[in-house]
Amino acid sequence: MATEVAAGTSRRKLLPIGNRQDQVYWLFVLPVLLCLLVFFLLPLFQVFWISLSDPAVGPDNYIKLFDNRAIKRVVLTTLRICTITTVFSVVIGYMIAFTVAIAPPRTRSMLMFAILVPFWMSVLVRAFAWVTLLRSEGVINSFLMSFGAISTPLSMTNNEFGVLVGMVHYMVPYAVLPLLASMDGINPSLIAASRGLGAGPVQSFVKIFMPLTKPGIFAALILVFIMTLGFFVTPIILGGGNTVMIAEYITVQMQQTLRWGLASALATALLVVVLLLIGALSRSMDMRKMLGGG
Amino acid sequence: MSNTIKMPTRRLVTRRQALAMTGAAAAAPFILRAGRAIAATELVLVNWGGDAIPNFDNAFAKPFEKETGMKVTIDGTGPTDGKIKAMVESKNVTWNVCDADGFTSENLGSKGLLEEIDYSIVDRNKVRPGHAFQYGCCSYIYSYVITYNSSKLKQAPTTLADFWDLEKFPGKRTFWKYMSGALEAALVADGVPVDKLYPLDVDRALKKLEEIKDHIILWESGADSQRFLREGEVSMGLIWHTRSTLLERDTKGEVKWSFNQGLACPSSWVVPKGAKNVKETMQFIAFMQKPELQVELLKSMSNGPANPAGSAMAPADLAKIDPGNEANWKIQIPMDVQWYGKNYNDVLNDYLDFFAS
Repeated sequence: MATEVAAGTSRRKLLPIGNRQDQVYWLFVLPVLLCLLVFFLLPLFQVFWISLSDPAVGPDNYIKLFDNRAIKRVVLTTLRICTITTVFSVVIGYMIAFTVAIAPPRTRSMLMFAILVPFWMSVLVRAFAWVTLLRSEGVINSFLMSFGAISTPLSMTNNEFGVLVGMVHYMVPYAVLPLLASMDGINPSLIAASRGLGAGPVQSFVKIFMPLTKPGIFAALILVFIMTLGFFVTPIILGGGNTVMIAEYITVQMQQTLRWGLASALATALLVVVLLLIGALSRSMDMRKMLGGG
Repeated sequence: MSNTIKMPTRRLVTRRQALAMTGAAAAAPFILRAGRAIAATELVLVNWGGDAIPNFDNAFAKPFEKETGMKVTIDGTGPTDGKIKAMVESKNVTWNVCDADGFTSENLGSKGLLEEIDYSIVDRNKVRPGHAFQYGCCSYIYSYVITYNSSKLKQAPTTLADFWDLEKFPGKRTFWKYMSGALEAALVADGVPVDKLYPLDVDRALKKLEEIKDHIILWESGADSQRFLREGEVSMGLIWHTRSTLLERDTKGEVKWSFNQGLACPSSWVVPKGAKNVKETMQFIAFMQKPELQVELLKSMSNGPANPAGSAMAPADLAKIDPGNEANWKIQIPMDVQWYGKNYNDVLNDYLDFFAS
């Protein structure tokens, strides 16, 4: 919200000082900025300070991030799960976005409804819904066993597979929205021209349509990846203790083992990675456009 | 995602209204604080929420207010070690007494995060020997007990070693994600005599757990343990006896359990360092030692009385589910609170890493 308004004013003038009307706008923004400073930036700085001072002042916690076997494992697990989730979400998201983009208006609004309803549903509800489907006496296993397709239940939950299913399902709408935005921006006459010049439907898609959606694909990849990095509830419910991701590891160090310095260092590192990714994202495309801003 | 913000075309709040609201917001803390100062001493007991809120209220808070006039509020936030530390370090301690694990008193107490228990007010003779800790006093007894789904197993597992017998007892097993019980089970299964378990040989325990690792899932919350057993996700588990009691009742006996080789653990009342009204808090802790109140909690929550006199006066149907009952106590393994207090933080990380690898 704040960035939206700030961006709106700065577009008119680089430094909105000296103009009476703009000063008034700054006054409106000021409380938000103060809130951000006091309730967001200061605590964030405190987290950073804890990472350098607990239990002793120095970079020890950051060194541990690289030479502790357990942390390395958690980081690798997180990166693996996030990468797989991102690839699946964007591929599935692309197919859905394409279907929506070419659908007639009535179908389109129905499809959007079907995408957005789960998007608004609590992550907890969705994780438990998957438990119901995937568990060893769950809907899927009972169905497969009822006609003898399998004799012993498939192990689909309390492991990494369950976590991936839950996370991909959660992230697909986040992939669809930026992809759809970029697909909607494509001028349909380009496709018509390509067909008119003798390209088949596949060729038109591969040579014209898909390259034009590249910024959308890039945005979807990064957006989904950033969000998956912080996943907490889904791995806990569907992982059964066998899949520990960074967010859960940080929580355990904060709440159970009281290694606040280490937890803060890990959180800071995660934040830096996310900021770098956002930086990469904003260089390649207009953030406001991607997030649906005017 | 498509939350385009349109500038409002009309003013939603007039300037005067805005000023009035700001003024009220600024004055509110002073008004509220003044109100609190006038009120009588009020204590806050923090536990883990759910049914424990009304049950602790009925068993302890209400009778205490009736006798002393001091009001006790039950807060179900869940006093994790991290939250207690955060509160103490913020120097604004609003909690008086927390429902914590027994070893939390040693773990946090040694870090200077807890008040010492004043045993001139709290009675050390109203808990079992060894349960009057320096920074905490036993509040109730609970146990990690062998629990199984009888529709999944032909015979009943009766010892911890049975967790390792995959032929006789097929299916997945569940242990607590935060370690208590699992290492003890592994060592007993590996042949360590029950009375020589502590100090736990962690490496040996993890090596033994490796044998059945692919068959283990971990329960995080008590509700998880119930779900796993009720839904047949696991055939057996080492879970809180309070949950086993509920499971047996809810499944009409399909899920069964016993105290044999259960890990009996004291919970403790702990007081965060810098808490207000420490003396009144100690009086409240002493008040909660009354055996008849503890029997109330045994009835509503299956929490075993910390005071042996409470166990002695429990009727037969409650004695059956009381880990502190002499007959049950004898067949369980008492947790070494000192060992956990000293080693928990380090070993828990090894344990979690073991399962994540």
